Amino acid sequence: MADMATDPLLADITGPTPGQMLRKRIFGHQGLLIGAVVLGVLVLVAIFAPWLAPHDPYAQSLMARMQPPVFLGGSWEHPLGTDHLGRDYLSRLIYGARVSLLIGTVAALISGVIGTAMGVAAGYFGGRVDAVVTFLINVRLAMPVVLVALAVVAIMGGSLQVVIVVLGLLLWDRFAVVMRSSTLQVRGREYVAAARAVGCSTPRILMSEIMPNIVNNLIVVVTLEMAHAILLEAALSFLGLGVQPPTPSWGLMVSEGKNMMLFEPWMVMIPGVVLFVLVLAINLMGDGLRDVTAPENRS
Amino acid sequence: MKYARSNWTAAATAICVACAGSAWAGKADDTLNAAFTKELENVDSYFNSSREGVVLQRAIWDGLIYRDPATNEYKGNLATSWEWIDDTTLEFKLREGVTFHNGEPFNADDVVYTVNFVADEANGVKTQRNVNWMKSAEKIDEYTVRILLKEPFPAAIEFLSGPVSMYPNEYYAEAGPSGMGLKPVGTGPYKVIDVVPGAHFVLEKNETYHDSPKGQPEIGKVDIRTIPDVNTQIAELFSGSLDLIWQTPADQAEKLATMDQFTVANESTMRIGYLTLDAAGRTGEDNPFTKLKVRQAVAHAIDREALVNALLKGKSQVISTACYPSQFGCDQNVTSYEYDPEKARALLAEAGYPDGFSTDYYAYRDRDYAEAISSFLNAVGIETNFNMLQYSALRELRMKEGSPVSFQTWGSYSINDTSAITSQFFKFGSLDDSRDQEVKDWLDIADSSTDPEVRKEHYSKALKKIADQVYWVPMFSYNTNYVFTKDVDYTPTPDEVLRFTTMRWN
Repeated sequence: MADMATDPLLADITGPTPGQMLRKRIFGHQGLLIGAVVLGVLVLVAIFAPWLAPHDPYAQSLMARMQPPVFLGGSWEHPLGTDHLGRDYLSRLIYGARVSLLIGTVAALISGVIGTAMGVAAGYFGGRVDAVVTFLINVRLAMPVVLVALAVVAIMGGSLQVVIVVLGLLLWDRFAVVMRSSTLQVRGREYVAAARAVGCSTPRILMSEIMPNIVNNLIVVVTLEMAHAILLEAALSFLGLGVQPPTPSWGLMVSEGKNMMLFEPWMVMIPGVVLFVLVLAINLMGDGLRDVTAPENRS
Repeated sequence: MKYARSNWTAAATAICVACAGSAWAGKADDTLNAAFTKELENVDSYFNSSREGVVLQRAIWDGLIYRDPATNEYKGNLATSWEWIDDTTLEFKLREGVTFHNGEPFNADDVVYTVNFVADEANGVKTQRNVNWMKSAEKIDEYTVRILLKEPFPAAIEFLSGPVSMYPNEYYAEAGPSGMGLKPVGTGPYKVIDVVPGAHFVLEKNETYHDSPKGQPEIGKVDIRTIPDVNTQIAELFSGSLDLIWQTPADQAEKLATMDQFTVANESTMRIGYLTLDAAGRTGEDNPFTKLKVRQAVAHAIDREALVNALLKGKSQVISTACYPSQFGCDQNVTSYEYDPEKARALLAEAGYPDGFSTDYYAYRDRDYAEAISSFLNAVGIETNFNMLQYSALRELRMKEGSPVSFQTWGSYSINDTSAITSQFFKFGSLDDSRDQEVKDWLDIADSSTDPEVRKEHYSKALKKIADQVYWVPMFSYNTNYVFTKDVDYTPTPDEVLRFTTMRWN
């Protein structure tokens, strides 16, 4: 048995290892870094909300309503002011991160599982399976998401669970479309044919030959749909059909501040800006991950 | 991101409208520009049930009687005098020489036709309560008419001075409610020159208005547009394309009051806000609200003073009775429950809920008030599952299966009599959540007696029991803000009716 160090085949390899190259790609990508840091901070904020929030986000104080944030002449008692019921804005913002991230993650997960299963099956098996899945995708694309979500939530009543499930069941179309075409591209590759030739089972081919080669596309769709779900939740809550009060939700906060928009614009701007930052961070990270993991960038 | 773009479009549109609007500014061309928040389904006052409808009704039509909003004294309007012939017959002498806007003379035939038309349930008048106490009318001579009642109804005069207005018989027979809605014809201080559903209503001064207790109109034209968004209304007020807005939320009104160019007037209204509790157990036998101690705990949990001082503001007041204080028979001497969360928790524990309980909680308007109330309940351990429904949906739900606790309001159609509210909800109707036989019996006596003392006594008994048993938790009365430019001189009245007739230019 040849010694590894003296093996002429291995000895020739100089320069960075694949791991080093990956790290270089990650740290060389500004968008990815910014997105990841911002998202990471928001995730930490959401997780540690009970320790970070200066006040109980549900505690109302009618005598201290709509106090301005500290940069508009308010006090440090409420750094971002208070809302129309005298609840601390910063605390509600911090707890609201939980709602947004939870909805974004779980809805993207549900729709990801549904969409990926359908897309991969359609792309790999083709024929009738493809026809059925394509038909389902077309049906789904013909339905306006917001209208359907509004109708379902109006019938079922708005709550966190309902919103998550409804969005999860509605946002799988992009997963299915992208996964289907990605699978179509790789199913004819030599390594798939080789795996088939050596007698790998279909699930094994799908899991270890197809999936790893399309997962970079999946990541992009996951981030897009996560951002999409977060914005839809905000829109539904803004319309009063999403998360129900007193649960803090950024969309709900925008809606509650809307009436005073002419006089106290910060009530709309603060949750609006945070929502914007979160969605931007997710999209930046998604773009970055795609760049980093795409096969053409690996070498 | 799609809705973000539409917000910009809306803002841009608002600015354009505002610029275009300043071309037809108010005082210079004797046109008052006002805004309604809600769409009015039909101008015909018998076929809508909204506040906007009441405002137009008082401008376009007249009733036989008029109640002076300042003194609450009944004065003759289209009638000059009236007399009870017996418990169920009222005779009126009509004013002579009055003509409708289309030139049709007003006489007994108009009264007979109007009363017979609206009293017939088959014609589908929207608010049956306003008219279903009348049986029919008969003509005695050209200017004498009798209205026959189904049964003794002491509040008849109050209803005749409010929602029952007189229509021209020939025109109404031909046009019907839909024709009347598009081209309204009445005897009132203002005549309608244009109705564009969804856009605006244009009223013009009636130059030949009779010598009515409503006073003579002075402002030449009134142009009322429907603008649902309060922020848009305020923006147009800034730009000068609106002269008057009303029902402005307290917070915005407070900000506008600090500006020199506007007058903000505040008046109370007859509308009260209350919680109705499922004391009869309609949502389930074991419903916690069937226990008196739980209901008392709810009453003690809510800081009504804070609600009035911080949220409603203006001329709102804390209410303890299931009626508005100015209403006839609304005895104020009932049990009142002070804010005491400790006591509320203790009462819940005594009732067998030391850790509180969870319940569905419904509301249909004033989301911020509803939310503040639910926070008070949460604070003592009554965990509320908040449901905000449309008015019609909540009404339907309450009629069918009831609700454990819901935040309701009632404006009594500005009728200054306890029968318009307490009797509406405590006589085993489908919205009666308490079903107390004793209360119903007392109300029956009070509603039909013609002796004011007997009425007062029985309303008082009923109201006291309602308060002792906490079937309702009455909380506050509403108020309305009227915001207008310094060009306009107007003193609002406490009945939530916008009276163009008493407006003047400064």
